Amino acid sequence: MNELGEFALMMALATALYGIAGYVMAIRQNRVDLYFSADRTPLIVWGCVMVSSVALWKAFITDDFSLQYVWAYSNRDLDIFYKISSFWGGQKGSLLFWTLLLTTYMMVVHVQNRKRDLRVVPIAMVVMLVITLFFLFLLNFSTKPFEVIPVPPEDGRGLNPLLQNYWMVIHPPTLYLGYVGFTVPFAFAVAALLTRNLDDGWIRMTRKWTLISWFFLCMGNLFGAQWAYVELGWGGYWAWDPVENAAFMPLMVATAYLHSVMIQEKKDMMKVWNMALILLTYVMTIFGTFITRSGLIQSVHTFDEATLGYFFLAFLGVIVLFCVGLILKRLPLLKSKNELDSFLSRESSFLFNNLVLLGIAFATFWGTIFPIISEAVRGVKITVGPPFYNQVNVPIGLVLLALIGIGPIIAWRRATWSNLKKNFAKPVLAGVVGGAVLFPMVPLTDKAEILSYVAFVLCIFVMATILIEFWKGAAARQSLHQESVPASYSNLVWKNKRRYGGYIVHIGVVFIFAGIAGSQAYSVDIEKHLKIGEKITLGGYDLTLEKVIWIKANETKERLIAQLAVEKDGVRIWTGKPEKEFYKGQNQPVSEVDLRSTLKEDLYLILADYRGEQFDPVTNTMATISDGEATIKAHVMPMVAWIWMGGWTIALGTVVAAWPDRAEARRRLERLKRMEGVFAPAQQE
Amino acid sequence: MFRLFQIGWMALTLTLSVSVAAVPAWSATQMDDLENALMCNCKDKCGKVLINCTCDHSKKMRKDLKGHLDSGLTVKQVVKVYVDEFGETILSAPTKSGFNLSAWVTPFVALVIGGVGVRQIMRKWIKRPGAASSGNAPAPSAESAENKQDAPASDFSSRVKRELDRLED
Repeated sequence: MNELGEFALMMALATALYGIAGYVMAIRQNRVDLYFSADRTPLIVWGCVMVSSVALWKAFITDDFSLQYVWAYSNRDLDIFYKISSFWGGQKGSLLFWTLLLTTYMMVVHVQNRKRDLRVVPIAMVVMLVITLFFLFLLNFSTKPFEVIPVPPEDGRGLNPLLQNYWMVIHPPTLYLGYVGFTVPFAFAVAALLTRNLDDGWIRMTRKWTLISWFFLCMGNLFGAQWAYVELGWGGYWAWDPVENAAFMPLMVATAYLHSVMIQEKKDMMKVWNMALILLTYVMTIFGTFITRSGLIQSVHTFDEATLGYFFLAFLGVIVLFCVGLILKRLPLLKSKNELDSFLSRESSFLFNNLVLLGIAFATFWGTIFPIISEAVRGVKITVGPPFYNQVNVPIGLVLLALIGIGPIIAWRRATWSNLKKNFAKPVLAGVVGGAVLFPMVPLTDKAEILSYVAFVLCIFVMATILIEFWKGAAARQSLHQESVPASYSNLVWKNKRRYGGYIVHIGVVFIFAGIAGSQAYSVDIEKHLKIGEKITLGGYDLTLEKVIWIKANETKERLIAQLAVEKDGVRIWTGKPEKEFYKGQNQPVSEVDLRSTLKEDLYLILADYRGEQFDPVTNTMATISDGEATIKAHVMPMVAWIWMGGWTIALGTVVAAWPDRAEARRRLERLKRMEGVFAPAQQE
Repeated sequence: MFRLFQIGWMALTLTLSVSVAAVPAWSATQMDDLENALMCNCKDKCGKVLINCTCDHSKKMRKDLKGHLDSGLTVKQVVKVYVDEFGETILSAPTKSGFNLSAWVTPFVALVIGGVGVRQIMRKWIKRPGAASSGNAPAPSAESAENKQDAPASDFSSRVKRELDRLED
């Protein structure tokens, strides 16, 4: 099976090469036979990569330690769940997984569009095949997942304990679906540039793909934050690590694109800008991959064998040069009739929203690469960590939050003072009243608390603008169509999916801002060494250490658990069980936090230290903690659950916005009927 | 009598100094400030700010920091001790002086330049208000007929615009 996997990868490479050559020659020589031949290659490449992936999965499930990769990331005692996820636990497998997702996207796009615009789609396929070729080249010649160990060992080294968490099973695929998904709009944008079809056809064709990729990238970031929160055991969810930044930057640029593209669709403006933004989004995803796999920047997330840097740097360079050159070449064709009616208009607010989103992306990029710049200029290595990002990005983020509220209530084209006053009066009043109510309730003793207070006031303002939009729309439906209240709201959303789906996403973003503001400014923590029966008090909770126990979970894992009774106002409300897990062959134990999460606050418990004999990974033994003492670190963090709630709200909004729309499908069909195709199948539809 | 007073005074001084020594002369906030300012410099290069790090080395670092604070050093002085020993890379953020200042300033400078750029672009794009409301629109040419947006001055366009504005309200 391993030989088949290796062979399938080689076949995929050869087929991709043939596909590229076939498409290009068919288009240049207008040869239909060659076109139909090349048009089968995306499916074949996907099939080959799928065979290869199944082979690797089989090797993991059957404990085939003759493969170096399986030996390095799995062992016999590993749960089947994690054996499956070990596939993407290391450099080689994650590259294969990336290629699998890329070819799956390519196959679906191919099937979906094979009878559509035959001017753009084949070129988009060529672009996707070229990108696939790059990854297949790495898999065949640089990082081979099917490398064999001559004398297979009895057991594997095992998966990094930090990766043995259900969030790590979900987080990488979600993030990769986002990263890889942006290949689709990128490919169509490049195809539109190459074929000079620079109307908004490529935008409409890829709108859903962009939205889906954005959604996965967004959720991938949030799942990563949840993993850090429950697994890393430091009481936080975002550390502005270079690899986190690498996933955050394309999200910001893509968000800017999703907004500005509306202006192009509505007013046929900003063609160059939108083209640049979608190309930049893809460049940022490759930059992120370069950071993760180059070893250039140290991070908890980077891969051990960070040897691919030069390949990705070269690939990144080629993409940047190609995209810049192409845009410059097509500049005359991209010129659009850019006209604004007024400074005070929704178009202007979108421009400023773009500026702020790109400002955040740039600040993050700058912070990520500044250590390299410093070393190059001064020869001094420095670190750019969370204090930098918090000080730079928080104020810019607050401006963005304000714009989320301002944007939807400014009229398109031209806002007059009268409609501004009318639209802003109630939300501003809500913000002022909310601010006044909060003022005596929240402490304002330091900068973080003041910024959080400002964030809360803005959250109230933004939420008011959105809810008023819903209320006004539903009220209009109730009076015009005599609909009931629930029907008016559901019809309002269902008949304007894009608009109200977008508003639901904005509600999710407000929840996230509120959660960040609450948890960053008002968290309290305590760390104390406790004997059995001793108590600590924090944020109204009384925590009493009841017992310290150790359990031999399996041959490779021991668990040390501290049990704490949690009381509030003298009533026992919960039993906390933070623990440390000791894995055979690992020097450091892994913290498993325990948390009690409510919308108001999270009680987050960490077993920081314990008294007794240390676990000896060499002899794989540990004495019972006879005297039962433990150091407990407890955090009370307000509103963390709001961040996750915001994530699910964003998911709901994206589903609504991306839901198929009959009216839109009809418009697209009419547009397709008007289009000229190169080959007959296009005209059949 | 004097001897007894001397012994008593010494005993009192000793008791006071012991009790003072038992209570740290620094606050938890100072410790937090230090843990926020410094990176964990473990062998594994975990790349975490000390306050976020849970590895064994971070425990040793915290103990060391407490020792420095116990000896009477201020937060700034402890940070300087670490920078002298490990270099600037031990700091969790660039200093706000010299070349490092560019790290802090550049994002905001870029944002201001971007803002000025957006404003300039908008000025260029905004149609002259006179043209939109004068009603002295030229007779519709073939070119303007092709592009309806070129003739917003007509009564019809003004009416459409008003209607659209009302809809947005």
